[in-house]
Amino acid sequence: MDEPAGGSVPPLTIDGHWAFDYQYFAGAAASRFFAGLAARRIMGSRCPQCARVLVPARAFCDACFVETTDWVQVSPHGTLETFTILTTSFPGLPEPPLVVGYVALEGASTAVLNFVDGIDLTDPDAAGARLLQRPRVTARFRDSCQGRITDFVFTLDEPA
Amino acid sequence: MTGPAELAIIGVGQTPSRRRHEGSTPELVHAAVGEALRHSGLGMADIDLVIGGFAPDALAGENCPDKRFLPAAGAVGKWSMRVNTGGTTGIAAAYAAMDLLEAGHGDAAVVVGVERMAQARSVPAVFNSIFDPIYERDTGLSTVSMAALRASRMMQRWGYTAELWARVAERNFKHATSNPLAQIRTAYTAAEVLTSRMLAWPIRQLDACPISEGVCAVVIARTAAAGSRPAAVVRGRATVTDTYNMGDRIGRREGDLVELLTLRLAAERALGQAGLGSAAGADVVEIHAPFDHAETMAYAPLRFCAAAEGPALVATGFGQRDGGGPVLNPSGGPQAANPVGATALIRLAECALQVMGDAGQRQVPGAATAVATGQGGSTQFSTCTVLSRN
Repeated sequence: MDEPAGGSVPPLTIDGHWAFDYQYFAGAAASRFFAGLAARRIMGSRCPQCARVLVPARAFCDACFVETTDWVQVSPHGTLETFTILTTSFPGLPEPPLVVGYVALEGASTAVLNFVDGIDLTDPDAAGARLLQRPRVTARFRDSCQGRITDFVFTLDEPA
Repeated sequence: MTGPAELAIIGVGQTPSRRRHEGSTPELVHAAVGEALRHSGLGMADIDLVIGGFAPDALAGENCPDKRFLPAAGAVGKWSMRVNTGGTTGIAAAYAAMDLLEAGHGDAAVVVGVERMAQARSVPAVFNSIFDPIYERDTGLSTVSMAALRASRMMQRWGYTAELWARVAERNFKHATSNPLAQIRTAYTAAEVLTSRMLAWPIRQLDACPISEGVCAVVIARTAAAGSRPAAVVRGRATVTDTYNMGDRIGRREGDLVELLTLRLAAERALGQAGLGSAAGADVVEIHAPFDHAETMAYAPLRFCAAAEGPALVATGFGQRDGGGPVLNPSGGPQAANPVGATALIRLAECALQVMGDAGQRQVPGAATAVATGQGGSTQFSTCTVLSRN
């Protein structure tokens, strides 16, 4: 099929810009979760029906469609369930090399996504092979908390 | 199986998928819909419903793009709406049209799926904005890293390797050389895949889909209204939605993140409606997988094999033309072109062309039954559709 805008004039492009400012309402559960991080505690919320401890905390369980009830502190220790090593730079995204991964913390029924620090990334294949072993990790809190998920990072218990 | 309101696809029109189209969105939409109508033999006066799919507004940089593109698809004076479910947008629009036709709201519908991401100057940054702004976006998540988190889990659980996935990519690229509408029509080899640039370990450039623009349109009609014209009859279809939270699916009893629970359920229902025990019973399967590893993630849900046997199935060269089994992605699949708002509808359209015998150079001889999948929203939305010729 031919381009519909054919003809003898060169196709025109018009520059545009879409930069709106926002404030995201974190909601009751996340506000409380981030307040916990400031006190160096990782908190989950328990579903009264399936008994899963959701981390990071949610106001409701979307599988059972019921409100969560209890708040539960989970361990800062866990297992790196899956990961990726960011190797290519893209405008607007964090500068590589970086590792992000999902960690199942002890006491949690779900996994939480965050950066994983302290890994030698000079050889991504070697680092990848090491991280495929589902290493043990621990959440380390930053010195000052800003109410963001990046207030903590994971580090390997046995440095790679 | 859909009873008295049996449905069929009677026309397909597609722009080529390209890195960038110079035409405006309404011009591209108008052209694709015009082609689909000509293919169907119907005119716009015969159409009752116009349903459009368009994925994230910010990729095109146009808020509420439905206002401009739906009239270009013929919406003026008709029942029309826009649908968005990420990667499944195009097929979700088709299902919305099918539901309305089955409910008696007309005899024929135009469905169009649209993608204009070349208008964005930084596609990965826009894709980051689709993730949860509270708990996840700060990690720099993009569609590539989101997929890579699955690939490494598949390596860890089932022993997949970069070499195995490169064979899948090689086959997709080979098939795409027969499809003039594909964007990548170079027969990249597995060796070239394995030496392409690493984007997010273990995913390299040629494991991933390109950035694509394109428009796909189909005409769907009640079979009674379609008459005796060639048609791809809808024998089964189902869609299932999962939680957004990927971390909730890690180690989940009902189905892990990489077990693709929603596709398993959708395929079970759609294949059951069509009387197929497995998608391997079809002649053609178009798998909506923008990455080679994601294609193999669909093998168990489609009942080709058990999940742990996937690597061994890939090693047999499964899915090639003349391989004896179903031909996977004779179009080249999303690895050769992935215009997000259109791509799931393209899978359906390509299956329709195959069973109608209208797939040109990429025709699989004698194709009578075809299965199309749709996957969207970080594998949150899954669809499975079975078509056969009338």
